[in-house]
Amino acid sequence: MLPGRIAAVVLVLLLSSASSATATAADAITPLEEYTTAKARNLATTYKIQLVQFYEYVYNCLPWLGVVKNGIGFRQPRDAQADDRYLSVWISIDQKTDGPFGQMPLDRRVSAMFSRYGVDMLRRLSQLNGVASDPDVRGFSVVLSWLKPGGTEKNPMMETLALFIDKSSLGEFLAKRLPATEFTSRAMFNVFEGKDRVGRVTLDVWDDDFNSTFKLKNYEPPEGAKCS
Amino acid sequence: MLSRITRASLAVSVVFLVGACTAEDMKVWSSHSTHFASGEHGFFSLRNNKDGSNPRVSRLDVENNRLQNWWGIYAINVSPNQIFQN
Repeated sequence: MLPGRIAAVVLVLLLSSASSATATAADAITPLEEYTTAKARNLATTYKIQLVQFYEYVYNCLPWLGVVKNGIGFRQPRDAQADDRYLSVWISIDQKTDGPFGQMPLDRRVSAMFSRYGVDMLRRLSQLNGVASDPDVRGFSVVLSWLKPGGTEKNPMMETLALFIDKSSLGEFLAKRLPATEFTSRAMFNVFEGKDRVGRVTLDVWDDDFNSTFKLKNYEPPEGAKCS
Repeated sequence: MLSRITRASLAVSVVFLVGACTAEDMKVWSSHSTHFASGEHGFFSLRNNKDGSNPRVSRLDVENNRLQNWWGIYAINVSPNQIFQN
């Protein structure tokens, strides 16, 4: 009897630890009760299906990325004066910290991560049905976090880029009508090392199609997932 | 006072150096990929047939691998309220 109980407890622990790493759509999308304005709640309600579909696409088809808990939502930049809403996704990236990436200075790491993942995520967000044309949506936002190179297992720290861009500028940039330098000058962004705000760094953006073309070897999306 | 030729040469050199630096950065980054891009993880073989054929990696395999190997989930990170207000 006792071994059976122990086995049951172990099973529960295993399942709970797995569920903490395997975020569901409900975990990944900002709950309505967290919003403080009617505009935000309306947006989250109106586009709930699109947000769930977006989450499912990332989860099923881009498994090298992880959506942070409550990471998808219509957020407002800290210290914003008006109720400007940006459709935002916060992504955690499993990046090797040794080798060439670890030798890059901070601004190059930020530029590389944004070029590789940030632009693609912004493009996908802006393509969600109806969102970009909604007058209550000010723009789009991407938050990228990765492990800071040079840390130790005892003292690991993340680096984070949080970027907000108005939808008009994003549309022009994605259509290649706005140079990257102008795009970055219009964007509001901050870099963080751990909890410390670094502020703006030199952000260069270049073409990188990794996130839209990479295929994980031997990976099979869950049955029913639409990854094409 | 620099001659026109000297100034032009300097300008070309600066452009070349900047271009070379950027190209090198691009090359380095392009040759580097995510943990998952390497395909070297042990769990990739877990679902292989005994003869090594028909390897399959499920979403749960990927998640379990992250859970087991990536200590970044315990790392210090910025709080949402440092970035957003609701």
